[in-house]
Amino acid sequence: MNSNISQLKEEALAAIASASSLDALKEVEREFLGKKGKVTGLLKGVKDLSIEEKKSTGKAVNVLKNELNEALQVQARKIEKEQIEKALKEDWIDLTAPGKEFERGHIHPLYQAQEEVERIFGEMGFTVVDGPEIESEFYNFDGLNIPADHPARDMQDTFFLDAPADETEGRLVLRTQTSPNQIRAMQKWGAPLRIIVPGRVFRNEALDATHEHTFDQVEGLLIDENISLADLKGVMTEFLTRLFKKEMKVRFRPGYFPFVEPGLELDMSCVFCDGKGCRICKNTGYIEFMGCGMVHPNVLRAGKVDPEKYQGWAFGFGLTRLVMMRYGITDIRHLTSGDLRILKQF
Amino acid sequence: MDLSLSWISDFTKVPTGISAKELGHAITLHTAEVEGAHSQKESYENMVIGKVLELKKHPDADRLNLTKVDTGKEQVQIVCGGQNLKEGMLVALALPGAKVRWHGEGDLVEMKLTKIRGEESYGMICAGEEIGLETDNPEGATEVRIKDLSHLNVEPGTPLAEALEKNDIVFDIDNKSLTHRPDLWGHYGFARELSTIFKSDLTPLSEWVPTQAPDSKEAQPMASIENDELCPRFSMAIMDGVEIKPSPQWMQARLEAAGMNAINNIVDITNYVMLELGQPMHAYDRQVVDSDKLVVRYAKEGETLTTLDEQEHALHPEDPIVTDPNGEPLGLAGIKGGLKSGINDETSQVILEAANWHPIKVRRASTRIGLRTDASKRFEKGLDAKMTEVAIHRAIALIKELCPNAKLISEIQNFGSWQEKDLQIELRPKKVRSMLGLNISKARMVEILTKLAFHIEDKENTEDSLMLVSVPSHRATGDVSLEEDLIEEIGRIEGYDQIPEILPALPINLPKENRERRLKHDMRRILAHQLKFIETLNYSFYSKNRLESCGLDEEEHIRVKNYLSKDQTHMRLSLVPNLLEVSRKNEKRFPAQSLFEIGHIYEKSGEYMPKESKSLGLLIRRDKENPFYEMKGAVEAMLSLFQVAFKLLPSRQASPMAHPKMSLDVLVRGKSIGSLYVLHPAAHKAMDLTGEIAIAELNFNALATAAGSEQKFKEPNKFPGMEFDVSVLVPEKKEVGSLLKAIKKADKGKLLSSVKCTNIYRGKNLKEGEKSVSFKLTLQKEDRTLTQEESQVLQSEVFLALETEGGTIPGKELLS
Repeated sequence: MNSNISQLKEEALAAIASASSLDALKEVEREFLGKKGKVTGLLKGVKDLSIEEKKSTGKAVNVLKNELNEALQVQARKIEKEQIEKALKEDWIDLTAPGKEFERGHIHPLYQAQEEVERIFGEMGFTVVDGPEIESEFYNFDGLNIPADHPARDMQDTFFLDAPADETEGRLVLRTQTSPNQIRAMQKWGAPLRIIVPGRVFRNEALDATHEHTFDQVEGLLIDENISLADLKGVMTEFLTRLFKKEMKVRFRPGYFPFVEPGLELDMSCVFCDGKGCRICKNTGYIEFMGCGMVHPNVLRAGKVDPEKYQGWAFGFGLTRLVMMRYGITDIRHLTSGDLRILKQF
Repeated sequence: MDLSLSWISDFTKVPTGISAKELGHAITLHTAEVEGAHSQKESYENMVIGKVLELKKHPDADRLNLTKVDTGKEQVQIVCGGQNLKEGMLVALALPGAKVRWHGEGDLVEMKLTKIRGEESYGMICAGEEIGLETDNPEGATEVRIKDLSHLNVEPGTPLAEALEKNDIVFDIDNKSLTHRPDLWGHYGFARELSTIFKSDLTPLSEWVPTQAPDSKEAQPMASIENDELCPRFSMAIMDGVEIKPSPQWMQARLEAAGMNAINNIVDITNYVMLELGQPMHAYDRQVVDSDKLVVRYAKEGETLTTLDEQEHALHPEDPIVTDPNGEPLGLAGIKGGLKSGINDETSQVILEAANWHPIKVRRASTRIGLRTDASKRFEKGLDAKMTEVAIHRAIALIKELCPNAKLISEIQNFGSWQEKDLQIELRPKKVRSMLGLNISKARMVEILTKLAFHIEDKENTEDSLMLVSVPSHRATGDVSLEEDLIEEIGRIEGYDQIPEILPALPINLPKENRERRLKHDMRRILAHQLKFIETLNYSFYSKNRLESCGLDEEEHIRVKNYLSKDQTHMRLSLVPNLLEVSRKNEKRFPAQSLFEIGHIYEKSGEYMPKESKSLGLLIRRDKENPFYEMKGAVEAMLSLFQVAFKLLPSRQASPMAHPKMSLDVLVRGKSIGSLYVLHPAAHKAMDLTGEIAIAELNFNALATAAGSEQKFKEPNKFPGMEFDVSVLVPEKKEVGSLLKAIKKADKGKLLSSVKCTNIYRGKNLKEGEKSVSFKLTLQKEDRTLTQEESQVLQSEVFLALETEGGTIPGKELLS
């Protein structure tokens, strides 16, 4: 009996070892371990044996079964491994063929920048404020210390609306600047105040590569006791550094805006050459960035804030220009063209 | 404005060893923006005065000469075609290295040692147009004439720039930065600034412009001012014995540097005084005017005037003019003189005028007429009336210098109601420091203000004591009237670069949140990053044609009065018309489009301020398939991501832009906040669109208010569910909504956890006018496992309900 078993074992192990595919291995398994397989067959004559022999034979057959199962598994793993190796050798795809196009949406670059600006000023404690795009002459001009016939009204060509004028508020205009919200915010919240007002403004100017009648500005206003130009320098340096993600410098020079006094222009270090001097900054190392200054006492008064107690600064910069600078867009009209070849880039 | 450095140097010493660029930089940082600096000298490098010593024909060219020229250092041979060359003549000689413009055309060319027809030429003798001077070769002339410079009477070898007095540096000042500084519209004003910036001396005006005494009093100038406000001051003087001729080289050079053309000595002098002192002047031919009396008044309807530029202007009752005693207009006051009484070659007697005009009146007239001159640009800033008299004295001195025989035959007369005012401002040193954020000493404040001609009284004279500052008349023009204005003077002269950077302490109160603003950016991300829409940015206006194409009512729109183009006449009442235009523009390149915009729309409110609201517009375009269901799905997904509880119901009153049968209202808390629809076929056609277009437009303010409704977590069900599918054949116009309703109604035991319409099929194997609608039903209870029987009972109830709705269920027998 034992010799039968060991003979069968030899036979089975040889068959397992020579199986070269998983199917062939399955066949070997059926041949030896199946219901009608050869190993099961060993037990056929057992009923004629003594109890002792039955026991030892049963045990030996079980041992054999376990050994063969083990061998089958080992062989199966070996075959699988060979198959993978073979596949790895044969598999090929064209890595240069294009990826399958995944449709995606796009946010307009102007509003991406607007959100970033709002976030940075928000981190510096500024509240974001909205205001109407249709304004009264009072808020857009007179309240900002720009009386009728002031040359500054010429500098900002204004769209007027075909609507009845109000005795105190004047005609309706499309706001030429975000500055009217300085007064609106002061009237609403009083001082101290720390706000920015991003939004669309309008100028009655013919379109060309650098002039749009519709563009976006960001207004800023900080009013408290003892607020100075030094704070303005600090806030703008920090803002620009966070926005451009590199060390930025600012410089002040005299400028004229009727609603601030002293009035200033703020230049920032040239982002293209880091202040070394290039064609874009005309070798000055600086680029004009915004108008700003200490809020004029007449404006504080228009906002019902006491100029003897409070002082502060205001600024306004062009968000549209910032976006153009950031992406190297040379024609402002691209941003409102609605051309999907442009919008899909952002 | 063009600013000549040499002119400024008449009044103050500009520090030596400082480059033009540095000087320009200093002006930019302390006073006004310099847009560029130009050195005249550089254009005349390697050019000298040459003297022609010998002249003979070129052996090999008829029209060329061989000359021997003295360069001051040596004698050289030069080949030249100038027909007017003479021995002994002084000429402009461009030596190798010089850059000239050949025949006055094309780019600059650098001179080299060369051979012309076999003869060496060591440079070139230049014609006027080749070196930026007046040409002697009018168009079509047959012979070439070089520039004869013999009249300069200088030694050969003198650098050309020096001989022509072209050694100036000219700064280009941005006029916009001088809007509020009438005192800076002349060179003297800038000299005052530079003397303050560089702490150098300034020649006092009284010294520079000494008083002129009359040679006789035979003439009696007189001005009658009919409107005091129009002309606060009018100064006059009369001279005889003037001789009209070109002004000397030095004066022409200065005028040219400042961007003006030389005309004749008298006109040039009036311009020269204006450029020097900032006060425009006018000179009349006394014999043409035929009176010493001038009248200042507003024009009358119907009057006309031909100005010096030979343009005839119909005058308007608000135009300020100067007339003769008979009422004949002589000039547009503050803008331009009249042609008739202007200086001409025969003039021998002149009436000099320097007046002060009301800035707004001049500005309005110049805008109305469309004539902006060097004079009007200055007057509209509001000039210092004190200067009229100074200008007259200066002009007389210059006329006497240029015409030695000229005599002042009248006293200098001033008319008008102007009187010098005393303007004093209180200045607190502490306020200066607190606003600038700069620790600056009182002594320095005093130094700066004094240099700028302010006068200071300081009784207590301590570091923080109050100062009383008197404003000089040239700054009391409206420019300086407040303490803040003085602080600006101190700040800019001390240098804003001295101000340190400080970050203000964060406020103790948290900034107020602008929720709507944040949600707007959230919405952009939802639409762009989750739902694949592209954001567009469109104008706030559109044309009458466009709004009518979309079926909107023009009457409801707010109109722009002074619109820029016919396409931009009406304030938008909806985002849709402009979105449709974007779609149209892109339809060829991008037939599949999903676009959106968030922006303001403007409605009439019945009150003064219109009603402005924020709107959200969506557009989906497909070439063939109706995108209505895509839009419906997009809106549903968007609203659920925005956490808004909503309902979609057939529109009660569809938008005029909507297909009336393909429009759903979006309801939030029972109120409609917008709609989604298929574009109305008429609008589709009128807007010249192709493809299929679905639109949604929602009120964003309302959406933001509703956003963030509470969302509750639902525990995943532990008990297994069962599913079955059912397809029902119904007539085409049977609504899926009513079938869904019937299914839900049939579920009496509330076993259904969801019912979904999975497919709507038409076509093959179905009858015409019939569709097959498929549903997937999921049965699930939260507290137990369902039995097969329960499922079967529900199934037959559902079948029955669908049949009651008029449907047939193919293969029902097999299923049950």
